[in-house]
Amino acid sequence: MKIEGSVLPVRRANVDTDQIIPARYLTRIDSGGMGEHLFEGMPDGPQLLAQHPGASIVVAGENFGCGSSREHAAWALLGRGFKAVVAPSFARIFEENAYTNALVPVVVAPAIAEALLSARHVTIDVAAQTLRADDGEPIAFTLDPLRKQFVLGGGFLQFLNAKIPAIRAWEAAR
Amino acid sequence: MPRSLFDKVWDAHVVEELPGGNALVFMDLVVAHEITTPPGAITIEKEFGDRLYAPQRIVAMIDHVAPAKDSATALQGQTVRNWAKRQGIPFHDIGDNGICHVIVPERGYIGPGMTACCGDSHTCTLGAFGAFALGIGTTAQAGAMLAGCLILQRPKVMRVEVTGTLQAGATAKDLALTVIATIGFRGGTGYVLEYTGSAIRALTMEQRMTLCNMAIEAGATTGMIAADATTAAYLAAIPNAPAYPVGLAADPDAPYAATVTIDGSAVRPVVSWGTNPGECSPIDGVVPLDAPPESLAYMDLQPGQRLTSIAVDQAFIGSCTNARISDLRAAAEIFRGRKVTVPTIVTPGSQTVRRQAEREGLHDIFQDAGALWTHSSCGPCLGMSMGVLAPGMRCVSSSNRNFPGRMGDGGRVHLAAPVVVAASAILGRIASPTELPALELVLA
Repeated sequence: MKIEGSVLPVRRANVDTDQIIPARYLTRIDSGGMGEHLFEGMPDGPQLLAQHPGASIVVAGENFGCGSSREHAAWALLGRGFKAVVAPSFARIFEENAYTNALVPVVVAPAIAEALLSARHVTIDVAAQTLRADDGEPIAFTLDPLRKQFVLGGGFLQFLNAKIPAIRAWEAAR
Repeated sequence: MPRSLFDKVWDAHVVEELPGGNALVFMDLVVAHEITTPPGAITIEKEFGDRLYAPQRIVAMIDHVAPAKDSATALQGQTVRNWAKRQGIPFHDIGDNGICHVIVPERGYIGPGMTACCGDSHTCTLGAFGAFALGIGTTAQAGAMLAGCLILQRPKVMRVEVTGTLQAGATAKDLALTVIATIGFRGGTGYVLEYTGSAIRALTMEQRMTLCNMAIEAGATTGMIAADATTAAYLAAIPNAPAYPVGLAADPDAPYAATVTIDGSAVRPVVSWGTNPGECSPIDGVVPLDAPPESLAYMDLQPGQRLTSIAVDQAFIGSCTNARISDLRAAAEIFRGRKVTVPTIVTPGSQTVRRQAEREGLHDIFQDAGALWTHSSCGPCLGMSMGVLAPGMRCVSSSNRNFPGRMGDGGRVHLAAPVVVAASAILGRIASPTELPALELVLA
């Protein structure tokens, strides 16, 4: 699985999920329709998106996705064509939601994230866990080995479904 | 080997260790509401024949928007309502509704040693009972409903010891904000915060819920407090509350990945001035000279500006942080015999809280003061209904998040304790209750 594309440079730390998708749009019973409202809660968010048409990789500051648990944040990014988010750190719930939805959460050192803000073209090899900006050298990153499976092949709920007999046995012996 | 409180609860719920430091963790309770549950419930219906692991371990309710504000939110409510009915899941419909983090404790769904999850970040509130309770996304919640378990990385544990005792005027909200300011807005990421110390032991259950509610605002997986006599007394008064495991607390020499000590006697009333809950200062102080410029630009404030000079357009008392009966009683003491000078909304955390408040006559105090007394809802806390801000409007609020746009596009939020919100509503600016003229003078 390779992700290639241009960067949306989000020069902010602590971009919370209210900024990614404001609560006024959390009124659907499915995961659709979120992309058109992406970053509406972020100061100058819609303008930033307009300045970078076709971008498919978000590069942001520390603690991306903090705040509300809303999975709608991952759905909004995917709905707008984003495939990966690169940041020095993620909030826990957003990172879990990203993995579950195959939106690749790439953690890099702060200096690398800073440099990537001005990259033109980024390639991410998910299987190999490397990232390359323009003509630069590949940069290795870490992924959760279990959740990486869900990024590459989906199947989060199927994985849990297959565990049910073991879970029932554990509960019976509790 | 001595263990922390978190270790004990976690170890008792690990079904299986998984690769990469993950574990399959059994959930004793899944809390469901109309905003985040429907997509997951529908996925289970379509892909897994509507099969749930244990409907009796789920509780559902109308929570955020009650009653529905439009056809879209009505469909959310109807979806969760119909699902709960056909699955035999306990359901709290409008009239019996409330914010889930208020209803779950007051109806006896949570107890010490339990695990719980909900598609709602403030599920950490339930850690006040010595439970391991956390917010998760819709798909993870669907997994917990389908298979009874979450997949989780084992968090580290940070011991947050609060020594001394809170002094008069300092509330649990002030302590919660002080903890975040101390460890940082993302300082708790990857950790469970285990609150301990004499100041914690002295808190009531409702105060402990306020404190644990804001653990997520430091990035923490959750907060937890050992179950003690205060916990037991609270649960004893609730019909059908889970049995109380005697002595559920950390071992004396339990190891912690990090330890922070806060002098509880030095905690002062605080108010936020920035765009995350860690950006707060004592209310009698000023906007810090080194405050981040982007925060101040959004909030339209200047470094060095006195916090009590900030005029507000609206006041809100409510939310899962501060809308329990003790919060309303404290606010009512400030409102009694006085008048608000800005639009003020008081929203109880559940319909049970609302009815109790009315039995005590608190609703008359709020309404005599000129405040709007509403039914229970999340309301304007997350900018969904019942008091959403317009661009540039400034609200002093007892809620938990002051993010840009949180209470409405372009709106500005100052977080504070209910008593500070009440005093500010009366003076039309951020104000401490100690600034209010004595009541006799007001009446004269």
